[in-house]
Amino acid sequence: MRNEIKQALIARLTALADDEVILSHRNSEWTGHAPILEEDIALANIAQDELGHASVWYSLRKELDGSDPDGLVFFRDADEFRNCELVELPRGDWAFTMLRQFLFDLNETLWLQQARDSSYQPLADAANKILREERFHLQHTQAWVERLGLGTEESNRRMQNALDFMWGYTQQLFVPIPGEDLLVAEGIVPDLGGLKTRWLEYSIQHLQNSGLKLPINPGYQPASRTHHTEHLWSILAEMQSTARWDAAARVW
Amino acid sequence: MDTQWPRWEVFKQDTPAKPHQAVGSVHAADPQHALLTARNIFARRPQAISMWVVRAEDIFSWTKEELAENPPPEAAKQTEPLAYGFQPLTFCVFRKTSHKRSMTFVDYVGEVSASSPEDALKQAQQQFGDVEALAWWIVPTDRLAKSDPGSETVESWFAPATDKTYKQQQYYATIGSHVSKHKLGRETDDEE
Repeated sequence: MRNEIKQALIARLTALADDEVILSHRNSEWTGHAPILEEDIALANIAQDELGHASVWYSLRKELDGSDPDGLVFFRDADEFRNCELVELPRGDWAFTMLRQFLFDLNETLWLQQARDSSYQPLADAANKILREERFHLQHTQAWVERLGLGTEESNRRMQNALDFMWGYTQQLFVPIPGEDLLVAEGIVPDLGGLKTRWLEYSIQHLQNSGLKLPINPGYQPASRTHHTEHLWSILAEMQSTARWDAAARVW
Repeated sequence: MDTQWPRWEVFKQDTPAKPHQAVGSVHAADPQHALLTARNIFARRPQAISMWVVRAEDIFSWTKEELAENPPPEAAKQTEPLAYGFQPLTFCVFRKTSHKRSMTFVDYVGEVSASSPEDALKQAQQQFGDVEALAWWIVPTDRLAKSDPGSETVESWFAPATDKTYKQQQYYATIGSHVSKHKLGRETDDEE
């Protein structure tokens, strides 16, 4: 593998893993606080699955550059993370959390479906494995978007507010990272342009079927994964505190 | 105002050779929601291939003691208009036969065609009386919501669990150090 391709792949795997680990941690904040016990357990399951996916992507990166997944997660500072801003945003209310998870899961599902044909076999294998769980996540969050969108006046209002706020942020999922074109040319990762078309088609249909309106003004659209909101600093402070408290600890 | 969602009983089938077994209940707003939460709660780790849910209020149940005290009237003698009309309906029959294990299940044993839940019970007692039943659950078949039997659903709902490992509780006994060390630490802190 040419070095420039390897570097681009490392960057893509880092972006995938960072998205999963930050969103997983955000969702874990609901543990013990979700609207009903059943959903508390369900969201904790989703969070744990996403953490597992992050671990898969970090492991693929490790095969390429020998980096230690725990080191990356717990000892990088915020400006070294390459997650999109969408996943950093505070958990908000249940509508915000479910809508973000739906739009994220839809992107992930579509990406994985195509990544199964990756010319880089370890990535194709990982996509195959992760896709199974992601399909279930998507069903669950899709059901929530529909039920809150079509539920009561209040649930619709909350869902619409969430959509208005995050729609611009979701578009960052389709911004290529530096070197992405090389990976696409090699058949290693899906082309984000084609992916965005399918994502828009599917998401807009489901949002409209759920009684929601696309915002006329899409709002702020982050462009670079080197930029973050202030929320990343606070979530990392919490997430990394135990590991940094005793960096030499072997057993937690 | 009661804001609780209805309760649904969950039946899980572990392998094709095993019956659907009552494993517990969930609260949910509708059948599909009940199946989704049931999958998360009852099929994340252990093996499963199919799940059914039914609203608890749609289950007609009789325990052995209840039947001994108050036998159901003969179906033929019933004069009350039947809840489900006079057309024969299909009912799913579930039976509990043991108190032995800590988790004793109410197992699915089969279907009967009957004019009422009481009639269905009679038929169940005749057809499935090979083992003494400690409890019967009779459920109108059309009230059961079932997970999609398609391979894609089975793959995404149930297959991932079979590859997953989990740690037993005692694994975590290795966390931390002896309590005496913590006490020592705290005392030191207090002195500062």
